[in-house]
Amino acid sequence: MKRRFPRMIAAALALMLLLSVTGCGSPDGKTHLTFQIWDIAQRDGMQAMCDAYTAQHPDVVIEVQVTSWSEYWTKLEAAAESNTMPDIYWMHTDQILYYADFGILADLTDLYDAEDPNFYADHYSEISLSNASGTDGKLYGVPKDKDNVLLVYNKEMFDTAGVAYPDESWTWDDMEAASAQIYQKTGKYGYMAYSDEQLGYWNFVYQNGGYILDENNVYAGYTQPATAEAIKYYVGLQQNEWCPNQAYFAETTPGTAFFSEQGAMFLEGNWNLLNELKNYPEMVGKWDIAVLPKCPNPASGDGRATISNGLCYSTAARGKNLEVVKDVLRFFGSEEGQRIQGESGAAIPAYNGLEDTWSTVFQQFDYMIDVQKCYDQFDYVVQYINNATRRKWKSTVADEMVRIYNGADIDQSLAHMQEIADSYVESAS
Amino acid sequence: MHTNKLSRAARIEQNWGWFMVAPTIIGLLVLNVWPFIQTIYASFCEHLGFGHYKFIGLGNYVNMFQNAEFWKATGNTLIFCVLTVPVGIFLSLLVAVMLNAKVKFKGGFRTIFFLPMVCAPAAVTMVWRWIFNADYGVLNQIFGTHVKWITDPNVALISCAIVAIWSSIGYDAVLLLSGLQNISKSYYEAASIDGASKITQFFKITLPMVSPTLFVTMIMRLMASIKVYDLIYMMVEETNPALTNVQSLIYLFYRESFVAGSRGSGSAIAVWTVLIIGIATLFQFWGQKKWVNYEI
Repeated sequence: MKRRFPRMIAAALALMLLLSVTGCGSPDGKTHLTFQIWDIAQRDGMQAMCDAYTAQHPDVVIEVQVTSWSEYWTKLEAAAESNTMPDIYWMHTDQILYYADFGILADLTDLYDAEDPNFYADHYSEISLSNASGTDGKLYGVPKDKDNVLLVYNKEMFDTAGVAYPDESWTWDDMEAASAQIYQKTGKYGYMAYSDEQLGYWNFVYQNGGYILDENNVYAGYTQPATAEAIKYYVGLQQNEWCPNQAYFAETTPGTAFFSEQGAMFLEGNWNLLNELKNYPEMVGKWDIAVLPKCPNPASGDGRATISNGLCYSTAARGKNLEVVKDVLRFFGSEEGQRIQGESGAAIPAYNGLEDTWSTVFQQFDYMIDVQKCYDQFDYVVQYINNATRRKWKSTVADEMVRIYNGADIDQSLAHMQEIADSYVESAS
Repeated sequence: MHTNKLSRAARIEQNWGWFMVAPTIIGLLVLNVWPFIQTIYASFCEHLGFGHYKFIGLGNYVNMFQNAEFWKATGNTLIFCVLTVPVGIFLSLLVAVMLNAKVKFKGGFRTIFFLPMVCAPAAVTMVWRWIFNADYGVLNQIFGTHVKWITDPNVALISCAIVAIWSSIGYDAVLLLSGLQNISKSYYEAASIDGASKITQFFKITLPMVSPTLFVTMIMRLMASIKVYDLIYMMVEETNPALTNVQSLIYLFYRESFVAGSRGSGSAIAVWTVLIIGIATLFQFWGQKKWVNYEI
């Protein structure tokens, strides 16, 4: 009896193992796909898109899985190493070059060749396609959405201070004057210029005609005069009494400050607007959005710019269900798939001409914010800054920005940022 | 024949022993020992991406020792240990002694002191951030001060230490409490008959008798303090002006390995941290001979 016991356990374990192996196969004969995303707010939209596909293809089942942003990349990288990646997943501009250049992602350049060889170029902007491309210029994702950065302002504070709302004619000077006026009349902060790249100084740099990476996306431009001037201007805004300093923002994000009515303006990405309307119902109607104020005297260009990023849908090059997945991706990138995404409110479709499908979801609120402003800005968007080495020097630049805000010599810090970023160019070539 | 049968029974017994400890041993090997060996190997490599490494010798260590950030982080970690371990252990002992005394609602108090241990660190830190908020936080409101608890480079590390001590007192106190309860009442009775005061009793009876538990607690607390990460990560974000003054070794490790993707240099930091823990623990074991009492 005593000796038979381990054998029984072994048999039981073997049986369990066998069951778990057979569990992977699909007893219903359908192809089961997994679809990994990081934003819970977009789950319903993604599900709706999948449902539309599976309605036409009953032999496919797609399961949408949400993993928080903080865990997403650690998990995805581990999955890539062990070749157990989800069938479809969102890809972010920060990461796509790392994955694509390493050969992890499937090349989707010829996805639509059978129906229309010019499909991508006809329906997607250059920026959208660029955000979905590897360093070799091939497409490693089907463009999903596009976004840009807007000025969010508190209407009540503008009214109280007797200042006209921001409009297309606004320049940096108008923004400063309005901030000073609001601070004087209401005691609230004006424009809240916090340390951030995409939602901060990048926009100012490009409005001023400067650049973070040159046109070939190789060398950095931190010490380029127009860039340095814009960064100095942006950092200097915190010297005004109407702008909180970085110590304040490290504890109270501008969004929190804005929606607890402590400040009148801040830069926000359009992807956060829907959540902010939902999370602060008592604020609905008290605020609206405007295009970014332009640079009054740019070194070059017309002074207009806003940073635009976009995600894409990718799949693994070594994926088991590659052909089925490609068909699903073809649908995700089609007009129908993109329309469902837009109407669900998940994000602005990357597909040209479908931008305003995204407006539908804002009609549920008592006050309709002026989302048209967001679409207008697509005329002068600047692609989100990224290249293959940026992930290596990103932290260094962040550390230098902290030093600048702590009062370090700004020219010296910019020179250091430049040096670090360019050092990787040399080592790569 | 006879001996053979006996040894066979013994062998079965032995196999059963192995079978019983197997889950722990396998777990240790797979989850601790093997990754540690891999980490040491990775520290001599450059991470090319997706688990591919290229051997580069001592390069990571040379870069690390030349990096000012790294020395700053090492300094921060050591200061953090100095701030948390002595005070934390002292307060834990105090709480344990008080919880061991005859007080009403003893169970209730024990639960309250243990509660921080049960709470998720992320939630705890969130609440502390509200308390510490310079402009709207409770702490500054009560005292009418304007201390920048989290963003002043000279104060932020102390604030982190306060939270760390607060979260660890309960657990350490429970450990020490178990040590205190093993002390026989007869010692105290004898001492009070001899006319020893409560203070004398504490130093002459309680402290020596609880010293083995105290030693274990100290080792664990020091290790935890050297490895501090989640708390500082949650308290201090990348745009905080105090970042470089609170960045601990493991925080730096995280940024190297997972933000910058340089797992090689990240591993070098991890190996360095293990070395510090090893040396510190060695010193503690050497020092214990002077004060830990194992004779009961």
